[in-house]
Amino acid sequence: MTWQLFELLLQASLMTIFVSVTSILLGLAFAIGLSAMRMSGLGPLVWFARIFISFFRGVPLLVQLLLIFNLLPAIGISLSSLTTALIGLSLCTAAYQAENLRGGFEGVPRGLIESAEMAGLSPVQSFIWIRTPIALRLTFPALVNEAILILKSSSLVSVVGMIELTKMAQNLAASTYMPLPIFASAGLIYLAINWIVAIAGRRAEAALPGLPAK
Amino acid sequence: MSFDFAVILAKAPQILAGLGVTILIWVAGTLLAAILGFLVATARRYGGRLADLVLSVPVEVIRGTPFLVQIFLLYFGGPYIGLRLDPIAAGLLGLTIYGAAYYAEIFRAGFQSVPPGHSEAADCVGLTRMQTILHVQLPEMALLVLPPSMNMAVILLKETALLSLITVPEMTMTVQAIGSQQYAFVESIVVLALVYWALVELANFLGRLAERRLSTYSA
Amino acid sequence: MTQPAISVRNVSKRFGDTLVLKDINLEVPRGQVSCLIGPSGSGKSTLLRCMAFLEEASAGMIEIEGEALGFSEKDGKRRRQTAAELRRTRSKIGMVFQQFNLWPHMTALGNVSMALRRVRGLGRKEAEARAMAQLVKVGLEARAGHYPSQLSGGQQQRVAIARALALEPTIMLFDEPTSALDPELTGEVLNVMRALADEGMTMVVVTHEIGFAASVGNNVCFLDHGQLLFHDTPETVFAAPRHPRLEQFLDTYLDRGAQMLR
Ligand SMILES: Nc1ncnc2c1ncn2[C@@H]1O[C@H](COP(=O)(O)OP(=O)(O)OP(=O)(O)O)[C@@H](O)[C@H]1O
Ligand SMILES: [Mg+2]
Repeated sequence: MTWQLFELLLQASLMTIFVSVTSILLGLAFAIGLSAMRMSGLGPLVWFARIFISFFRGVPLLVQLLLIFNLLPAIGISLSSLTTALIGLSLCTAAYQAENLRGGFEGVPRGLIESAEMAGLSPVQSFIWIRTPIALRLTFPALVNEAILILKSSSLVSVVGMIELTKMAQNLAASTYMPLPIFASAGLIYLAINWIVAIAGRRAEAALPGLPAK
Repeated sequence: MSFDFAVILAKAPQILAGLGVTILIWVAGTLLAAILGFLVATARRYGGRLADLVLSVPVEVIRGTPFLVQIFLLYFGGPYIGLRLDPIAAGLLGLTIYGAAYYAEIFRAGFQSVPPGHSEAADCVGLTRMQTILHVQLPEMALLVLPPSMNMAVILLKETALLSLITVPEMTMTVQAIGSQQYAFVESIVVLALVYWALVELANFLGRLAERRLSTYSA
Repeated sequence: MTQPAISVRNVSKRFGDTLVLKDINLEVPRGQVSCLIGPSGSGKSTLLRCMAFLEEASAGMIEIEGEALGFSEKDGKRRRQTAAELRRTRSKIGMVFQQFNLWPHMTALGNVSMALRRVRGLGRKEAEARAMAQLVKVGLEARAGHYPSQLSGGQQQRVAIARALALEPTIMLFDEPTSALDPELTGEVLNVMRALADEGMTMVVVTHEIGFAASVGNNVCFLDHGQLLFHDTPETVFAAPRHPRLEQFLDTYLDRGAQMLR
């Protein structure tokens, strides 16, 4: 195991980080949309959100990626492997984040919604400015947790042709016949990134404004 | 664009065989993982500070790295240290070790939830340490550990799909192979997704059922 | 013209099978402080919440300065108003809750300027200037940048009052504004309310602070088991309680302020 090989792995891990961060943020936006649908009280939207969440939580990410990779071109949409990876990961994490957010939205004290109502905010404004930020605040630790899960899950996007940390390790292992040190190094890099995310998450949690009183 | 599902469904027997392998590895892997995880948690709790510290390392490493990297390391790297396993054995071992790290954490939280007074009382009655753990503490923590355990089981079910990447002939690999033989990739993946979806929802349903049973039983 | 600020006509409210308000009739005069007192569970909060349409009366009508709130009456039938109609009538009302209900993710200034920006459509600068003026009024300009979790209960409640006042309501409703506070913090909140009363704000205050009711209130309403038993001046209600339920209640709740009046 040489420094050059390790450097290649480090470079590839930048792609891992990019794909993960983008998917987490896109997924968060989708998850808020799904929560809005679920709370809209409009039958078709509620059902769409429920089925979406159940499907993406019920099917292995690997199969989801294969599905998007094969289905979209078959119906005439051709996408780059990066786009395919981002769609796959963000839809999947959206379903999990929506499920996390559900608890957050339920935890917003009724009085805070009533005071928004008394201030003249419409239900949509109340959702955007009051309920969503508080729900996000309440579920922030779950978001950090999900970020770590997605970072690990991003190892699967190699199946749609992305070259990130895991795929790079696979390629190097095959060409150098040194799978043991190479996969171990890749694992260490994942571990280090996760460790940083976890610590940064705890710091951020402590720095955020307080939780609503019970 | 037209899809032809008939060619996939014609291969139902093969798909079922793949499903059988998936379920077998899943059930065996989950049970072994739960047992190993329980042993690790017990050792961390009662084996002294050194055991706790030493065992925390593999638990954190496994929880901090992707399952895919772990099975690649085991399957492709194993032979270099004399660990030559066929795909199914490697897959089962990989799933067990991976799951055990998470079950160890679940049971650790479980041990922490049992008030110390209860096990001390059992000690006084003259039960051995292992008897106390199995007959006093395990039942007491059951209600707490059941939901995350069922949750973990469902996660492991979905992780079995990754074993196709080390050529374990489970459902994902089988259905993909059928898809490429028949030139019906999309159809094959759609069928595959639907089967997993049904399986996961079934597992979730059974999990909720078990929870309800246990909570009425212990109430 | 002496149109009342709030008029409550034949209002009843049931939760499931229990009748919590029984045929309430009440006129809240403008520019005065009306206190709602009564034992726990007598329906004070429910009546106040009906006045803000946070609770829908099961029967009867409520009018705010002559305009129907929540339901309109036509040919003797009640019709649910649209959201826009409701919001327009409700904009005359400010509400202060027992639990303050400040939004925890915004600073004091953010809480007070929120609706000015999002509902009134003011620019950030102007909204914050107006919000700051309200914070000055409740004596909290120095805390403008603090989050609710960094404020004491009394300070939070004063911010909540400033938040309601920022929208320039003509009527303020208070639901036990001091009962979640430590005793030494009630004074600062009551002082703010007293100053508001002196400015001529129409106020309805649910309170167990009999001293405040006696010294600041112009009217006192006594609610018991969902019925409005008395509606009179504090002197009459406290100095010469004629009703056994009221006597019993006062024996339990009387504090020093009212003791002196007696
Ligand atoms: N949402 C609700 N659902 C069912 N019952 C309710 C609800 N809100 C209030 N009640 C009941 O209505 C009755 C009146 O409640 P309310 O809160 O108005 O009393 P209160 O006079 O404000 O009491 P307190 O002094 O304790 O605040 C009580 O018996 C209460 O249990
Ligand atoms: Mg009340």
